[in-house]
Amino acid sequence: MKLNPLNRGERTGTSSKLNRRAFIIEIRALVALAIIVIFFSFLSDKFLQYSNLVLMTRHVAMNAILAIGMLLVILNGGIDLSVGSIVGLSGVVAGYLMQGAPVPFTDQVAYPNIWAVLVISLIVGMFFGWLNGLLVAKLNIAPFIATLGMLYVARGFAKLITNGETFTKLSGKPELGNAGFLSTFAARPLGIPLPIWVMIVFAIVFSVILNRTAFGRWLYASGGNQRAAALTGVPITKVNVRIYVLSGFCAASVGVLFTADLQAAIPNMGEFSELNAIAAVVIGGTALSGGRGTIRGTLIGAFVIGFLVDGLVLIGVSVFWQETIKGAVIIIAVAVEEIQRILERRQKLKSAS
Amino acid sequence: MLNKYKVIAAAAAIALGLTVAGCGSSDDSAAGGGTIAIITVDPANPYWKAEVDTAVEVATELGYETTVNAHGNDPAKQTQFIDAAISAGVKAIILDPAGADESVGAVQKATDAGIPVFLVNAEISAQGIAKAQIVSNNAQGATLGAQTWVEAMGGKGKYVELFGNPTDNNAKVRSDAYHAVIDQIPGFKLLQKETANWDRAQGKAKMEIMLQAHPDLQGVIAGNDEMALGAIEALRAAGKLDKVKVLGFDGNDDAVAAVIAGEMVATVLQPIVDGTKAAVNQAHAFLTDGTLPASEKQAIDCILITKEEAGRLKGFVLS
Repeated sequence: MKLNPLNRGERTGTSSKLNRRAFIIEIRALVALAIIVIFFSFLSDKFLQYSNLVLMTRHVAMNAILAIGMLLVILNGGIDLSVGSIVGLSGVVAGYLMQGAPVPFTDQVAYPNIWAVLVISLIVGMFFGWLNGLLVAKLNIAPFIATLGMLYVARGFAKLITNGETFTKLSGKPELGNAGFLSTFAARPLGIPLPIWVMIVFAIVFSVILNRTAFGRWLYASGGNQRAAALTGVPITKVNVRIYVLSGFCAASVGVLFTADLQAAIPNMGEFSELNAIAAVVIGGTALSGGRGTIRGTLIGAFVIGFLVDGLVLIGVSVFWQETIKGAVIIIAVAVEEIQRILERRQKLKSAS
Repeated sequence: MLNKYKVIAAAAAIALGLTVAGCGSSDDSAAGGGTIAIITVDPANPYWKAEVDTAVEVATELGYETTVNAHGNDPAKQTQFIDAAISAGVKAIILDPAGADESVGAVQKATDAGIPVFLVNAEISAQGIAKAQIVSNNAQGATLGAQTWVEAMGGKGKYVELFGNPTDNNAKVRSDAYHAVIDQIPGFKLLQKETANWDRAQGKAKMEIMLQAHPDLQGVIAGNDEMALGAIEALRAAGKLDKVKVLGFDGNDDAVAAVIAGEMVATVLQPIVDGTKAAVNQAHAFLTDGTLPASEKQAIDCILITKEEAGRLKGFVLS
């Protein structure tokens, strides 16, 4: 602890100010969520039904898990455009393994059990995240470019593996020792779908990582000012690589959950979901420049988008309006913050003069 | 005046065509037939994969080299691939066009360069440019599908519709043909129409919400199989699969399995394999002795797939 590059006092000094701002924005996102809930519950008596809330929250959970990984990357001033493709790739890898994978150099076919399938799928996602991290941290390639490239590479691999097919034989067989993929990963413990549980666990674990570990402090510090953080001894390269690995891990988790949910591994799965994840992070009060943002805000952001999208379908708004309204809400959510910042700055100037 | 220009243009086109063709044959004399460029939409979708596989197989049998590219319905990408095919000096282009209006220019460009273009699966909004436009008769197929679904529903009921990508002409053609059948019958009520962009995941998500909004729905008509399969997953999870009748379109293998299992009332087979075979064979005939197909626009009838036919269908071919 002595070697910890940021002493406690310094941290609370800067981050409490940052967190106060994040808190104000979170409140605003919460207000937006409340407006959405009230609006739709007036227009449809189905909206607040328990089964509908569970369903919408399951849709939210997929995006929220991606958004948690995205938050880590954005906190560091980066961006990860490859998460949607990693969802597809990991899902396809899981599907491929469930069909039985030929063992190289032999004519045997391996049927790994479902936990091995899960671990391999997650490792594939983390591997692509690690590649992102290397490109960004070691080669200094702009995150936008590196992960844009990986978006195509990962999607390409997903299509190569399936050769254009869709894997649907996912149930496995007890005599092969790989039964239970669907019943496990599309399970509903206590009546709540598994993705919601995963969202809750990830939210708690990543909150602890961000708030209670050196890694979390390093992340906030290097996101705020990378050079300054490096000078105070933050291992910025290590931090940079690690966040992309974690983002890949989150994406791979969604890939497995999605495959079980759809009962099919489809190579196009997760297309454009990186954009929804970014929107959730931003609505939740995270600065794209890095250094400011919380898990709580990101979750609220994911709920705002998810409830809005599903609510519009529930009340039967035309699809063209659905897209327009979703876009407008994203812009308004961020514009309000910027307008307030401009007003504050003017006030400060006034009081100074 | 006009005529004079036309003659000059035609002469230029022919001259250009001859040079390009000349280049091609001198380069590829060893291969025998030269190269045919195949430009498709998205081979990650089983339907287009069948199209590509068929085109490559038939062209290879006839002694051609092939190149395959996918434009993903992006006209800009399509133009790039056409340009690349022109500069590579291919003998012919088999194209699944990206939009009826958007693709006219690209086809014109290749034709001006002396490369014959044979369209398959979708048409363009101009005639006399491409050598052939081979499309499956979507309206006829959708009518067949709707009639079968109406019967399965018992002539009445509340239903929802999953609509394809709204910018794709086929989405409208199929939907219109469905409604031409269904809307005549007074017992049917359309509860909601949602777009799921031909996609299984979106089909499932939209269907789940529509099941919340209309728990009493009895039928689903979908513009393609992928959306129908998504709807089936949603219905399965809600335990309503046996109460709701689902109609698909395309005849892909997953849908055939669903028809056999009784989860889908029917799907409609687009004879994409037959159409693609015809396109490549017509290209070969034209390259060999200049034979043009009897008519440029050729519609191939779709085939209704119910439980009886489903067992004989694999990889878009009915045996």
